[in-house]
Amino acid sequence: MIRNFGFCTVICGSILWGVSVAHADDKVNFTREVRPILSRFCFKCHGPDESTRKAKLRFDVREKAVEKVIVPGQPDDSELVARVFAEKLSKRMPPASTKMELSEKQKQILKRWIAEGAEYQPHWAFVPPKQAPLPACKQKNWPRNPIDYFVLARLEANGLKPSPLADPYTLLRRVSLDLVGLPPTLEEVDAVLAEVGRIDNPSYETKFQAAYEKFVDRLLASKQYGERWARRWLDLARYADTNGYEKDRQRIIWPYRDWVIQALNADMPFDQFTIEQIAGDMLPKPTPDQIVATGFHRNTMINEEGGIDPLEFRYYAVVDRVNTTGTVWLGLTLGCAQCHTHKYDPVPQREYHQLMAFLNNADEPDYEIPDADIARRRADFEKRIADLETTLADKFPGGVEALNKSLAEWDERASAKAVAWRVLRPAATKTNMSFLQTLDDGSVLASGDQTKSDTYELTFQETLQRVTALRLEVLPDESLPARGPGRAYYEGPKGDFFLSELSVTVGGKKIPFSGGSHSHANGGFGAGKVGAQYCFDGQAGTGWSTTDQPGKPHAAVFQFTAPVDLDEGMTLQMIFERHYSCGLGRFRISATTAASKAEATGHGAILEFILAKPASDRTAEEKQKLLRRFLEVTPALAEPRTEIEKLRASLPAYQTTMVMKERPKDNPRPTHIHHRGEFLAPRDQVQTGVLSTLQPFPKAAPRDRLGLAQWLVSPDNPLTARVTVNRQWQAFFGRGLVRTTEDFGLQGEFPTHPELLDWLALEFVNEGWSLKKLHRLIVMSATYQQAARATPEHLEKDAENKLLARGPRVRLEAEMIRDSLLRASGLLSAKLGGPSVFPPQPPSVTTEGVYGAIQWKPSAGEDRYRRGLYTFLKRSIPYAMFATFDGVTGEVCQARREVSNTPLQALTMLNDVVAMEAAQALGKKTAEASGSVEERMRLLFRRALTRPPTESELTALVDFHRRQRERLQSGALNAKQIAGGDDANLVERAAWTLVARAMFNLDEMIVK
Amino acid sequence: MNLTRRHFFQQCGYGVGKIALASLLTGAASARGQTPNPLAPRRPHFTPKARAVIHLFMAGAPSQLELFDYKPRLAQLEGRPLPPEVIGGQRYAFIRHDAAVLGPRFRFARHGQCGAELSEMLPHLSSVVDDLCIIKSVRTDQFNHGPAQIFLNTGFAQPGRPSFGSWVVYGLGAETENLPAFVVMSTGSGISGGAANWASGFLPTIYAGVRLRNSGEPILNVASPQGIDPTLERATLDLVTRLNRQRLDALGDPEIATRINAYEMAFRLQTSAPELMDLRGETQATLDLYGCNPEQPTFARACLVARRLVERGVRFVNIYHEGWDAHTDVAGNVRGNCRTTDQASAALVKDLKRRGLLDSTLVIWGGEFGRTPMVESNPALGRSLGRDHHPQAFTIWLAGGGVKPGLTYGATDELGFHVVENPMHIHDLQATFLHLLGLDHERLTYHYAGRDFRLTDVFGNVVRDILS
Repeated sequence: MIRNFGFCTVICGSILWGVSVAHADDKVNFTREVRPILSRFCFKCHGPDESTRKAKLRFDVREKAVEKVIVPGQPDDSELVARVFAEKLSKRMPPASTKMELSEKQKQILKRWIAEGAEYQPHWAFVPPKQAPLPACKQKNWPRNPIDYFVLARLEANGLKPSPLADPYTLLRRVSLDLVGLPPTLEEVDAVLAEVGRIDNPSYETKFQAAYEKFVDRLLASKQYGERWARRWLDLARYADTNGYEKDRQRIIWPYRDWVIQALNADMPFDQFTIEQIAGDMLPKPTPDQIVATGFHRNTMINEEGGIDPLEFRYYAVVDRVNTTGTVWLGLTLGCAQCHTHKYDPVPQREYHQLMAFLNNADEPDYEIPDADIARRRADFEKRIADLETTLADKFPGGVEALNKSLAEWDERASAKAVAWRVLRPAATKTNMSFLQTLDDGSVLASGDQTKSDTYELTFQETLQRVTALRLEVLPDESLPARGPGRAYYEGPKGDFFLSELSVTVGGKKIPFSGGSHSHANGGFGAGKVGAQYCFDGQAGTGWSTTDQPGKPHAAVFQFTAPVDLDEGMTLQMIFERHYSCGLGRFRISATTAASKAEATGHGAILEFILAKPASDRTAEEKQKLLRRFLEVTPALAEPRTEIEKLRASLPAYQTTMVMKERPKDNPRPTHIHHRGEFLAPRDQVQTGVLSTLQPFPKAAPRDRLGLAQWLVSPDNPLTARVTVNRQWQAFFGRGLVRTTEDFGLQGEFPTHPELLDWLALEFVNEGWSLKKLHRLIVMSATYQQAARATPEHLEKDAENKLLARGPRVRLEAEMIRDSLLRASGLLSAKLGGPSVFPPQPPSVTTEGVYGAIQWKPSAGEDRYRRGLYTFLKRSIPYAMFATFDGVTGEVCQARREVSNTPLQALTMLNDVVAMEAAQALGKKTAEASGSVEERMRLLFRRALTRPPTESELTALVDFHRRQRERLQSGALNAKQIAGGDDANLVERAAWTLVARAMFNLDEMIVK
Repeated sequence: MNLTRRHFFQQCGYGVGKIALASLLTGAASARGQTPNPLAPRRPHFTPKARAVIHLFMAGAPSQLELFDYKPRLAQLEGRPLPPEVIGGQRYAFIRHDAAVLGPRFRFARHGQCGAELSEMLPHLSSVVDDLCIIKSVRTDQFNHGPAQIFLNTGFAQPGRPSFGSWVVYGLGAETENLPAFVVMSTGSGISGGAANWASGFLPTIYAGVRLRNSGEPILNVASPQGIDPTLERATLDLVTRLNRQRLDALGDPEIATRINAYEMAFRLQTSAPELMDLRGETQATLDLYGCNPEQPTFARACLVARRLVERGVRFVNIYHEGWDAHTDVAGNVRGNCRTTDQASAALVKDLKRRGLLDSTLVIWGGEFGRTPMVESNPALGRSLGRDHHPQAFTIWLAGGGVKPGLTYGATDELGFHVVENPMHIHDLQATFLHLLGLDHERLTYHYAGRDFRLTDVFGNVVRDILS
């Protein structure tokens, strides 16, 4: 066991495990030492990618390598050795043009490896994890759980000792920040300490462990746990509240964020957590929550810049979905294989696109989340509307008589205009891109992809003589953006359409129109002339639309110059063209043979049908309908109707969120290999398929997105569990057991503790993929509970703390810094979930030089002080404080955040409005507390840093407080400006505010 | 044992702490195996010509056909569509393939010893034309603003990769501790590419561009909150430093030393940022040269501030002037933007030159793509006599920093549609810029997600023809 760890005695200073030198009596280790060299220096030209392979040589597969350049056991006969040691530049490998050079040490490793037989081993991460027995350790009383055995064995092998248990304050602060993202409150800490008693008590440690364990369980059960861990997951999910790119408009997808919080709080098993996010919509009878969960892959960006090609940016979004899936579940940099076969990992370009085929077959609707409460309220509204409608007739001025007279007049006028329409069902449809489907009522529903210039061609085979006009009804539908009638989903108003041109040919001859009318016409921003009559003027820029009435039916009527006989059927062509996609979503074509001039009435097809009938033929029900319509439109009832209109306008809306919806079986979207990954270079079509280097696709699984999700979490997947536990480890210790959390491939780093990683991965799966259990295991380990002090020995032997001879000391994430300030000052709101909020920041951040500028109106009330994960995340201009502290933009999947340490961070902590408000609040609290200055100072100190101050800290702080108080009292400092708020107790509040502000700027404040 | 940061503080005491901190900032600390300072000056790959860059980003894409690339043939063809074989499969944002040709809207003349041809809209630039290298053959892959701006800055069309400025600071480090190494200003309308244009991508945030703002404080949070005077700020910092040092002694975490240093730099920024923006020390003649009113956050003022930044050791300055997106009335657009930018752009070249800074400062002027030889006319959108986006050919100019002066490089066909001579792809430009800074674009890499990333992706050639 120990021998296996021999290589780590030389970790100091080396970047790659592979370049460390093994003991002279050890064989060179292929995985750790040789392959990293081959991969980094050779595979680019002699690796998996056939298209760039030089001299037909490949070193990634032993059979091929030994055919030519490697003679196992004979380094002097091996061309590879000759080449890497070549004196002559022209002979030497890697060639100078690669700008890479092997060190002497690396050359020797290759030579020794060949001398020792040039054995290959499979890449560790592609082999299923193995259960290693717990290693034997000398310091038997140290380990608290299996994690510690693995860690201690490594320490002992390297002549290091673990650090002592951290002091209770440090540990409670650490575990609270780690598990719920917030420092503990003073009361929480005191409660634990009260259970434990004095530190010099002989049973202290046992008691402390018991109390600590209870504290941990409370944290795991608290609602804040889900918020803390959701933020980390949202980094991977590239969650944001805007669409990204130039316009960067707001989107509504926060219900997905809330789903993540709830799932984590419920400790949803990670395999289920995976399946619901990748393919929740495809589960049998999916619940609304499972559909909301598919927001994971809707977090991709949407480009709404004027004039873009929407299909191009849809392609980039799908590319992002493949790459993100690779990073999150497989820890693989699949993105490389978008353009060419992966240079290092066994991921052929074809397989990349086969994976894409799984994720490329979904539509991307907004989903109205069913909500019993809203449904009830809507029903209530509708009942009130119906009640009001039944009383309308009674309110008619002049009573029944007047009503009947007026109705009769209206009927006569409307009937005179009405003509009989016959619905034409298309016999065939043709489009440039969209998928058209004829419904039972003869209407046509469009779905599928769209372009900026969409053409629908419908062929009708009904034989009808002397047709005088055609009617185009545009209809709402639940499947359409904003319920239609159009399909616009970006840039323009949702549900918009723009009918540029409409033409009819019969027997190959174009039929001229003499006029057109519409029930309503509006083209919104940037439309040309709008009206039915502009649909046959030969100008694409003019046409018909009803932009300002989404979700409402309307109609246009086109009159032929002369009656047309449809003996040979008819072809109708519609062109929809704007600088964004704007095809019709649902529509119906009818024809009339009426000799009178047919016009668009706006009554709708059913009423027109009734009106066109002789009065004597109308049924009672039809008459009732006419009456109702009359009451809706008669000017005499305008006043009584306002209340109804108001109710209609304020009908409670269902919350929407962005989701995935698998395409119908009869309209799958084909996926192609794209040459060099370019959108404009599609080549062969591919079917779904998974990476051949990993486990096979589950036999019982469907070959779709759901099957892909099942494959990701299938028990024989060597990567998913490892990658997941590694990310958790990173969250606690600041670095993963594999440092490159996003890359477990050949170019990634080798694990510091491979057996521990495997053990944790297996334990995680055995324990039902429970994240809470895993987190509990980690924080209960002695490894985690160590003091963080870095001794000179530590810094010399293991500056990066890879071996874990001390506890983690990590800077807080951006959101946690803000949350800590708010909790210390008592301002933090405990409100869970809901729409994102706008904490204060200077207005110039979101306006100056920003294309998609927004007025950042700071939220009022408790929303000003919500946890950081609820802050509105605008991709092009993220919240300034978070950006300064390495927060994410939501533009790409991020498996680890950089941790920087900059002057701008100092300026933020000193001067940002949130920090100052928190200082004022804590200052006020302290000023209002009772006790001496020292006592209050201790209190303030503990609110900020959890632990009590040392004597010298206390002296320094009290001294600072005294001096500032003097200046405040003398008027040298403006107490009102500093203390803020009301006028009471100004000097005291200001003095304590200044102390709190200083405290917030201590390194310890933003470190766990 | 190596000298640690802790030793520095223990032995030097606070009085000379600044000196100790300053030396920690240099490469000395990293040579001793400590946490390296990411901004320490780093040796370039070879002797550089330029040590600083000022990029005047004419966002929205200026019309090369109205400014630099004179095409009389377009006037002859005006009103007629281009042959389809010229256009090929190019996609457009707004116009259709059959859009008619639009002739140049301005007169051109030759200027200076080099005889470069410039539009009448650039009278000031004409006076420094012998210092310029005008490249008429620039090509890009993108035809929408956001992606094209991000592509020019990061070598990739989607957000997420480090920007040019970030790469430069990562490669060379900083020369000043008093100001950010990479500064971004904006004097036009909103920037399509957004913060992705100056983001550090997967490089640490310390390499991201820092916005110098037009309203409020020049740098966000550089001003103390109301009521905090400098004496109090110093006292607060002294207290913070003292307590942080005690913590450093107790825990030995080198990051605490870095934080102490960051606070000292922050304190200096609180002085140096207002000093930078205080133009009272500039002569009236200099203000007049730029056409700068110190009170107005104009392009002219930004150019003057850019010079001051470079003087103070700042490595990389971006000035975004967004507003060249002439979908309608290209003549009016060019006239208006030239009124705002021509004098100051020329003044910057003159001013740097007379101060001996031009040789070591690379000035870049240009947009993210060009504009079509065809007219954009769309009554629906209220557009006429405009030009659409044109990625196939556009013009930028460079000055100083080791670029050959008085050179016009590359050429387009008689329609200004395609490059016919010395094509210069964006990746070639990037490679050449880095070369001028002493950096080999193939060696300036960052290992992330399994790959050594570069500004130039896997492309780019240094164009030696334009090097002096």
